[in-house]
Amino acid sequence: MRHYFSDAPKTALQASYWVFVIYLLLPLTLMTAMSFKDANFIAFPIGDWTLGWYAKVVQDKQFLEASGYSIFIALMTTIFATIMGVWIALLISAEGIWGRAAIFALACLPAVVPGLINAISMRIFIRVLDIPTGTGAIILGHTVHAVPFVVIMVLTRLRSMPNNLIDAARDLGADSFIAFIRITIPFLAPALVGGMIFCVLTSIDDFVRTFFLGGYQPTLPMLIFAKVQGGMSPEINAMATLVLIVTAAVGLYAEHFTRRSRT
Amino acid sequence: MVDSSMTETGTSAPRAGPAYAGWIGKITNSGLYSATVGLIANSTRARLILLLAVPLTWIVVLHVGPIYQMARISLLDNYPPAAEGPVYTLDNYRLFFQEPLYFLPFVRSLIFAAVVTVAALVVTYPVAYYVAKIIKPQNRTRALLLLLIPFWAGEIIRTFSVIMLLANRGAVNVLLREIGFIDRPIPLLYNYFSLGFGVIYLIALYMLLPLYSAIEKIPPQLIDAAADLGAGPFQRFRRVILPLSKDGIVSGCSLVYLTSIGVFAAPLLLGGPNSVIFPEIIASLFHGSSDKWPEGAAFSILMLVVSLSTVGLFMRVAGGRSVRLM
Repeated sequence: MRHYFSDAPKTALQASYWVFVIYLLLPLTLMTAMSFKDANFIAFPIGDWTLGWYAKVVQDKQFLEASGYSIFIALMTTIFATIMGVWIALLISAEGIWGRAAIFALACLPAVVPGLINAISMRIFIRVLDIPTGTGAIILGHTVHAVPFVVIMVLTRLRSMPNNLIDAARDLGADSFIAFIRITIPFLAPALVGGMIFCVLTSIDDFVRTFFLGGYQPTLPMLIFAKVQGGMSPEINAMATLVLIVTAAVGLYAEHFTRRSRT
Repeated sequence: MVDSSMTETGTSAPRAGPAYAGWIGKITNSGLYSATVGLIANSTRARLILLLAVPLTWIVVLHVGPIYQMARISLLDNYPPAAEGPVYTLDNYRLFFQEPLYFLPFVRSLIFAAVVTVAALVVTYPVAYYVAKIIKPQNRTRALLLLLIPFWAGEIIRTFSVIMLLANRGAVNVLLREIGFIDRPIPLLYNYFSLGFGVIYLIALYMLLPLYSAIEKIPPQLIDAAADLGAGPFQRFRRVILPLSKDGIVSGCSLVYLTSIGVFAAPLLLGGPNSVIFPEIIASLFHGSSDKWPEGAAFSILMLVVSLSTVGLFMRVAGGRSVRLM
């Protein structure tokens, strides 16, 4: 009797876990299921099943263009954010830097400012500087948002780097640039890959910054948003499911990669 | 200590560094390299300037610059300023406090974010505890991954998927009608319920992950010791587990509060006319036909200051020593 009683909290916790898993996965499962519905409207039950919506989506020129545009922006964002993030992290971890805490706080500022405020301040900023909205502005906005996360990931990794590695390279005659390329960068590799994948995913998923900074060409989230507002159709489900599968695969790979390199 | 060896190799011109093979060798052996990067790399001061200048410029211009410009424009009477020169005024801030149309949604937003934060904490705490302490360590990664999958779908896709669940002809209503529980669909969408449901769906993992890493660090011996000393499950939780996971609670709550106060897409898709919250109002000042940028900037500054100082105060009062936002 006593035994059962002491197990009750454990069972309740287990139940809470599974209820939460269902809460997280149910909407996405329903969305995916609905993409196979053979009808023009969205409603349960599904009835007849079809792959027709997928055939339509992969031939949809708008969808393909938006995908290409989103990927282009994500890649540009990743390149700039990684370079800047590593650079700032190196600055913060450099010896004898005055005001380290202040620099770190300001470097993280775009990550703690709520997303909407971040987007609006950037919109104001580019108007003051007469930068037009559009591709460049989106890349700038996404990069500024992504940099703090790269900084944090790289700093975490740098902290575990033995100091004498660089000293050894320098004693063997490498100048500091060579030491950076041959020692620091390979040591940072796991953090860099993790940070880059994070940049790609946040850029591809971003809505609010693109909403304020974008021009007429839609990114993937903008396109899906416009379609949802314009009326529901299983075509949106097929589109969203495709994006979900690709981003989840990239995310899973990132998780796998960072976990493997940690051990 | 390193520099002494560097000057030694530096004096024997041309540079007598180690010979590298491949592309690095090609770069280091070129005259251009020794004239530029090599020179910088061998001079402590040039290296420091290179290390400092670009990132500091970036941070000052692009991290601080936009906030500064927003603050400046919030004090203008008109944007773009009149030809005679800008006129600075506090009217935009005064307007906020005089006009309930702006003031009330702001208060609503703050309350909404606080409710979402508490709800997310209550929902995810047992889940985090279960994964961190009860699941066998070899299964822990898999249990976490299951929770991470939805995180990789974007904001819009997850919001859209919530509509599938809650719409009038969505899964919940159809199921309830099938079992004869209701005759006509319950309006689950376009109100505070759907908004809260959706926002918690978007941000729950920001709460879960800090909680998980804090709870995981609690030594199990402490919990066992409390049990041996006669503490029941509730007392163990209140006296041992809860205080020791405080850091996770503080950073999770801060992160969720700051994120949920700035959600934008979810209110547009899940909210209704009665659940207008502040972000929508700010956005309308920038996107409407009328140019009300100074007002919008002032409201954004108010929102930024209030949300950041709420979180700052919360951190100070809750007092995590080593609170990190990530």
